Amino acid sequence: MLQVEGLTKRFGALIAVNDLSFHVEAGQVFGIAGPNGAGKSTLYNLITGNYSYEGKVVLDGRDISGMPPHRIARRGISRTFQIPEIFPSLTVEETVHVGSRFGSRGGVDVQHASEIIDVVGLGEELYQKTGALNLLGKKKLMIGAALATKPKILMLDEPMAGSNTTEILSLMELIKKINQDLGVTIIIIEHFMKVLTDLAQVLMIIESGTLVCSGKPAEVIQDERVVKSYLGDSYA
Amino acid sequence: MSLKRMIAILGAFYLVMGVLPIFTGSADHLNILTMILIWAVVASCWDVIMGFAGILSFGQVAFYVIGAYASAILSVSHGISPLVSIPLAGCITGVFGIIVGLPCLKLAGHYVALVTFALHMVLVPFLRGPLGRAIGSGGAQGILTVPPIELFGYAFNADTLVPFFYLTLVLTIIFTLVLVAVIKSHWGQAFLVIKDSEQFASSLGVCSYKYKLMVFALTSFITGFFGALYAHYVGMLSTKMLSMDVFTLLMIMMVVGGIGKYPGVVIAAAITVTINQLLAPLGMYRPQIMGAIVILLVLTLRGGIVGIFEKFLSSRPEGGISLGR
Repeated sequence: MLQVEGLTKRFGALIAVNDLSFHVEAGQVFGIAGPNGAGKSTLYNLITGNYSYEGKVVLDGRDISGMPPHRIARRGISRTFQIPEIFPSLTVEETVHVGSRFGSRGGVDVQHASEIIDVVGLGEELYQKTGALNLLGKKKLMIGAALATKPKILMLDEPMAGSNTTEILSLMELIKKINQDLGVTIIIIEHFMKVLTDLAQVLMIIESGTLVCSGKPAEVIQDERVVKSYLGDSYA
Repeated sequence: MSLKRMIAILGAFYLVMGVLPIFTGSADHLNILTMILIWAVVASCWDVIMGFAGILSFGQVAFYVIGAYASAILSVSHGISPLVSIPLAGCITGVFGIIVGLPCLKLAGHYVALVTFALHMVLVPFLRGPLGRAIGSGGAQGILTVPPIELFGYAFNADTLVPFFYLTLVLTIIFTLVLVAVIKSHWGQAFLVIKDSEQFASSLGVCSYKYKLMVFALTSFITGFFGALYAHYVGMLSTKMLSMDVFTLLMIMMVVGGIGKYPGVVIAAAITVTINQLLAPLGMYRPQIMGAIVILLVLTLRGGIVGIFEKFLSSRPEGGISLGR
C-alpha cells in the first residue's frame, strides 16, 4: 500500500533521515520507534509533504513524492501531531467537518462525520469549543478530524505522549477499533513499547535517521541492535 | 457569531443609515454618512484578511489608494466611463493584492506586515515621481478633475449628496452581503482554520496557498473598488490619502470593532468617522488625540465593542454550529 524508497532528508550538515526504505501493507498497524531525535517525526513530515526530500513515496502504486500536504491528505494519508493541534475558533463538530469538507471529495459527509464523532467518543462535546477539551479530548478530536478525510492510512505521532494509564488504554482501544472496524491502515510512532507490541504487526526501529531493524515486534525488541540503541553498549 | 445575529446587526445598522438622510439636509452630515459607508467596507475587508485569515496585512490603505488612482487615471487619461473604470480599478487592485500576496505565502506574522506596508511606503514616491506622472498620477499635485459617475445623464458626486449616499448604500450592502457570504462559506472556514493552525489545516486537505491568495485578491478587489468610488465622489486625489492619519483612522476602526469580530468593525466605522469629524476643529491636535485613543482602546477594549456584547450575552449560548451554514 505505502512504499517508501531511499528517503533522505538533510538539514544543512545534519542528515535527519538517511536512505530509509520500508513498505506498509494494507490493513496493517505499522509501529515506528527509536530514541529521541531519531528522525521519526521528520519521517512523518516527509511522507505528508511538509518538507522536500530525496527518494520516493508511493501510495497504491501512485508516486506522491513532492506533493503538498493538502494533496497528500486528499490522496488518503492523514496524520495527527505529537503536540495536539486544534482549531480554537471551532467547535468539535465543526473541526470534524473541516476534515470531511476539505479532505474528501463531495463536501461534508454529515452521516460519516457523525459516525466518526461516535467512534472517537466525543458525542457529548459536539458543540463545545475545542479549546475547552482536555488533552485526551484534543487527541481524540485530532484523530476524528483525520478520520473524517476518509483516509487509507492514518499516521499517529506519539498519541500516548503525556497520557495516564487509563487514557493510554482508551486510546489503544480506539486505535484497534479504527484499524479493525473501519479498516484503516495505521502507522504509529510511539515510545511505549507495550503499546507497539500490543497493537503493531510490524515494528521498525530507526536511529539517527537510519533503519536499525524491522520485523515482528516481539522479535524486534529482543534484537541486540535495538537494546544497544535504547540502553547503550553495556546492555547489549 | 451566528449568521442570524450577524445579519440582524448589519440589517439594523444599514436600516438606520438608510433613514438618517431623511432627518438631515446638512451637507456635512451627508458627507460623514457617505464616508461611514465607504470606510465600513474598507475596514470590513481588513478585518477579513487580518481578523479571519490571520494575515497581518498592513497594505489596506495602499489598496484603497491604488483603486482610487487606477479609476481616476483610467477615466481622466483614457476617457473610460467611471461605470467601467471603477470595477476595472477593483480588478487592477485585486491583481496587486495577488502580487503582494505571493511573497507573503512564504512568510509569517511580522514579515507579512513589513512586505504589505512596503507597498504603502513605495506608493508615495511612485505616484509623485516621474513614473507616476507618466501614467497620469499628476505627481505631487495629484489629480484634480476626476469626473463624477454618470448614469443616464445624471451625475453622482459631492454636489448631489443624497443620491450619491444612496448609491453608496446600495453598493455597500451588496459588498457586505458578499463578505458575509464568504465569512460563512467554506472559504471563511478555511481562513479561520489556517489562522488557527496552518499545519493541521493542511493535513486535513486545506490548501493554504489557495485560500491565502483568495483572501488577498478578494479584499484588495473590494477595497480598490471603494477607493475608486471615493475618487469619483470627491473629484480630486492626492498622495495625502497615504498619510498616517488615514492609516490610524482605519486601525482605530479595527480596534474599536474588535479584530476578527465582524461586524463590529462596521459599527466601529460609524463611531470612528463621527469622532474624527467632531475632533476636526482641534486641527493639529486631532491626530495626537486619535493616537491616544488607539493606545487607550488597545489597553482596555481587547475584544472591541463586539467583545463587550459577547460578554454580556455569554450566559445565553447560541448553539455552536455557525460556520458553513
